[in-house]
Amino acid sequence: MKRAAGALGAVALLTLPLWLANAYHLHVTIMAGIFTILALSLNLLLGYTGQLSLGHAAFFGIGAYTSALLALKLGWPFWLGLPGAAALAGLAGWAIGRLALKVRGAYFVLVTISFAGVISLVSVNWMELTNGPLGLPGVPAPELAGVSLRTKPAYYYLVLAAVAGSYLLCHRLVHSRLGRAFLALRENESLAESVGVDPTRTLVLAAVVSAALAGVAGSLYAHYVRFVSPEVFLFSYTVTMVIMVVAGGKGTLAGPVVGAVLFTALPEALREAMAWQWQMLAYGVLLVLLVFFLPRGIVPTLTAWRR
Amino acid sequence: MLKRWCSTLFVVLVVGGLVAPAGFAQAPIKIGVIQPLSGAVAASGNYVRMGAEIARDWINARGGVNGRKVELIIEDNKSDPKEAASAAEKLIVRDKVPAIMGAWGSSMTLAAMPKLQEYGVPMVVETSSAASITRSGNPWIFRISPPSEMEALGLARYVDKLGVKRADFLAVNTDWGRGAVGAFGDMLKKKGAAVGTAEYMDQAATDMNAQITKIKGGGGDTLFLTTAVEQITLVLKQSQEQRLARKIITTGGSSSPSQLIKQAGAAAEGTYHIVFFMPWFPESMPDGKLARAFVDEWAKRGHPFEGLTEGFRGHDGIATIAEAVKIAGKDEPKAIQAALWKVSFTGVNGPIKFDKDGPAGKESGQSKPSIFVVQIKDGKVALPDFLAKK
Amino acid sequence: MGGVGEERRSLPPTLILDALLQHLVNGLVLGGTYALLGIGLTLIFGLMNLVNFAHGEFYTLGAYATFAALALGGLNFFVAIAAAIAVGAVVGALCERVLLRPLRGESIDTTMLVMIGLWIALQNGELLVWGGVAKSIPHPFPTAPLTLGPVGIAPLRVFVVATALVLIVTAWLLIQRTRLGRAMRATFQDRETAALMGVRIGRIHTATFAFGSALAAAAGALLGPIFLAYPSMGDLASLKAFSVVILGGLGNLAGATLGGLLLGIAEELGAGYVSSGYRDAVGFVIIILVLLFRPSGLFARTERIG
Repeated sequence: MKRAAGALGAVALLTLPLWLANAYHLHVTIMAGIFTILALSLNLLLGYTGQLSLGHAAFFGIGAYTSALLALKLGWPFWLGLPGAAALAGLAGWAIGRLALKVRGAYFVLVTISFAGVISLVSVNWMELTNGPLGLPGVPAPELAGVSLRTKPAYYYLVLAAVAGSYLLCHRLVHSRLGRAFLALRENESLAESVGVDPTRTLVLAAVVSAALAGVAGSLYAHYVRFVSPEVFLFSYTVTMVIMVVAGGKGTLAGPVVGAVLFTALPEALREAMAWQWQMLAYGVLLVLLVFFLPRGIVPTLTAWRR
Repeated sequence: MLKRWCSTLFVVLVVGGLVAPAGFAQAPIKIGVIQPLSGAVAASGNYVRMGAEIARDWINARGGVNGRKVELIIEDNKSDPKEAASAAEKLIVRDKVPAIMGAWGSSMTLAAMPKLQEYGVPMVVETSSAASITRSGNPWIFRISPPSEMEALGLARYVDKLGVKRADFLAVNTDWGRGAVGAFGDMLKKKGAAVGTAEYMDQAATDMNAQITKIKGGGGDTLFLTTAVEQITLVLKQSQEQRLARKIITTGGSSSPSQLIKQAGAAAEGTYHIVFFMPWFPESMPDGKLARAFVDEWAKRGHPFEGLTEGFRGHDGIATIAEAVKIAGKDEPKAIQAALWKVSFTGVNGPIKFDKDGPAGKESGQSKPSIFVVQIKDGKVALPDFLAKK
Repeated sequence: MGGVGEERRSLPPTLILDALLQHLVNGLVLGGTYALLGIGLTLIFGLMNLVNFAHGEFYTLGAYATFAALALGGLNFFVAIAAAIAVGAVVGALCERVLLRPLRGESIDTTMLVMIGLWIALQNGELLVWGGVAKSIPHPFPTAPLTLGPVGIAPLRVFVVATALVLIVTAWLLIQRTRLGRAMRATFQDRETAALMGVRIGRIHTATFAFGSALAAAAGALLGPIFLAYPSMGDLASLKAFSVVILGGLGNLAGATLGGLLLGIAEELGAGYVSSGYRDAVGFVIIILVLLFRPSGLFARTERIG
């Protein structure tokens, strides 16, 4: 039964552009895909190692800017820009990991916020590199074998492939020895240490992978919207990611996916449902209600019900 | 029984056939509007929206365009470029609007521009000032607000009369602020004035004392201030506290001098402001009657007077699109785009007619708006002292 | 001529000293209010283990409450400020009882998420009620600045600093000298033992949240007339509050006070001498440095309240 449902779901996803003809809905789907990758990446840190990183938008933004600049200034194709974005974001993750993971809890949160704040200010002020507040327009769309992937259905498949890849990566990671080390650290750090888990090394590794994934999402974003400006570092992006992971269910793999799809669709649904004055107020109220009724997150609560 | 059915069907078809075309003719012309209705610049976005609504109601009161009513579909871009792009997508694909007005801030407009190109829908830009908007080869863009260079040129004729010898700049750290610093700096240098320091402030900053202290030490005689009205209020108050004695000139047209008088009081005395609409003396505008009518209607609706200096943009934007639809004869995007090149009428700001701007073959449209300078004297807005009659 | 008064033309060295003194004075005024924000948050974060993203919204609430009391209620300025602080306390207590008490025992991420929802709802609610145009809050002080040597300071700012100091001292006294304060300190140090000793943990939580929110509202009520009241004013305030908490050490009142003053001065000096664009970066960089070299805060000896 579960197999059949899974197969049906896969078929639906693979043929989506055929039955979801509305370009706007396809747009929302693509954005949901990009945010799914972001949510999965944040989940690695937040859900599995238990470290709340509130600077995650920094890795997203670094990925977006890197990919855009590589394409615009050096003429690199998207297929090189993407790994470049992942690499640079991963490097930033390593730096943050090494610096910040000397501290834990509230202090780690603060360091990550500060890091994101500094990066944001750099992007606004370092005009020569990032063009400051004027942003980088005209980022080219990816090309595959001479065919431009500018159209929505094409980009959808690109994002779908990336989401599938990210999910598989997280799945493999979480079920490996490293993944078990993550969980051990989350549950009881001193105990984990006593059985031979090196906390700093393990956490830094988690930070690197998490940041690199966020960088991938950033690159996909840059080549889809084709305009990058310092607003990618907005704290609201980090907040959105946190909402997706925690409301979806941190520490599970399906949770971030559900959270990302739900909270990408929600603002758009509110846009249709009510006048602009009420949209964000409704969003806040709905969020509070969601946390109230499903404090563990959507996926864990559903899993518990099924038992 | 069958006969009954057939005749009923026949009647329904005939009546439907008669009514349907008339029904189609009544379908409203939809115009999309993208503005920042929440977030840091919510006030400005809402003023533009109010102006747009006045234009819509006036047009409909006169019988609409080509006999059809105008309907505005308003979206909030939340001061976020990503939202601006999403809003454009929704308006074009879901609501099928043939034309859009937006998106206030330059970043928002730039983010929405690829969507215009993708779907082939024209947008009238009512506020954004970045030069790149009309220079990036997007033939679906038609701007009625002045880019910073045009604004600087508008002030050039008064530079000598103002006696500007050495100017400093304090601008908000966005494309708008930086663009203004660049454009005005170049203009001043061409006129032989010296350019001192350029200080910037974050869009959300409330304490500019550090920047003011620096400017105070610089020894210039004029300060060019480019930011939204709330920050201008704060800068004026803090400058007064620090006893900064300079000529102060605000640029960008968003300074709402009336609001400054209310909120900054004596600190605003003597300051000059570049505006694109003078609601204090509407009869001096190119179409005095229209301007006066707009001011009166705005007051009748209970909107705050301070919002007029931005609200008119909404009116002129919608009026421009309506004019284009009239010329085109239909509300189809490509026809509207072609018609926009033929538009020539007078809005609240003045004559609106588009010249070509940008790379050949894919030019955008740029109109030449009227630019005015006013001064706050004795707690009221007046013509600047160098223009006042002796 | 723009602005009132004359500008003194001084010799360069004196001018440098003048500017420095002016920066310091500006920094102190700002720092006093940062301290208020920080004390409130350090109590909440430290005692309740709550990442309170809605803290800035109580700051905003304080400013709008002052505006409402003045413009709609016609109250005296000082009474209006007191009323705003009271509103902060009441709304804070209400939020704790309704939103947080039922979620007691949930993880820190869950309570953080509820605070995020509250933040979004409150801010957009304010946008709906008051509109996006900033509100100017009238005050009875003369606008001409007082002159202390080369430094100019507006009478309003003197009032703000003085009131902030009074409130800080009050907070101190409350924590150190009252039964409630003792109960709060006990709960912070060892929750289980405190409960065993008869401390009503639930009441302490409500009191802590109400008190912290009242202090944030006070900061907003004091700064509102200097700056302006607008719906998104709390976002930056929240961030500054978090910075002060880290600088001073979690739960450390003295640390938060000194941290707030330090942050205000450092920001002023950074904006004045390094670069105005990177003004907020100064705060961030300081935090990063502090956390790298003295993770428990600049002033923490051991982690405790007071």
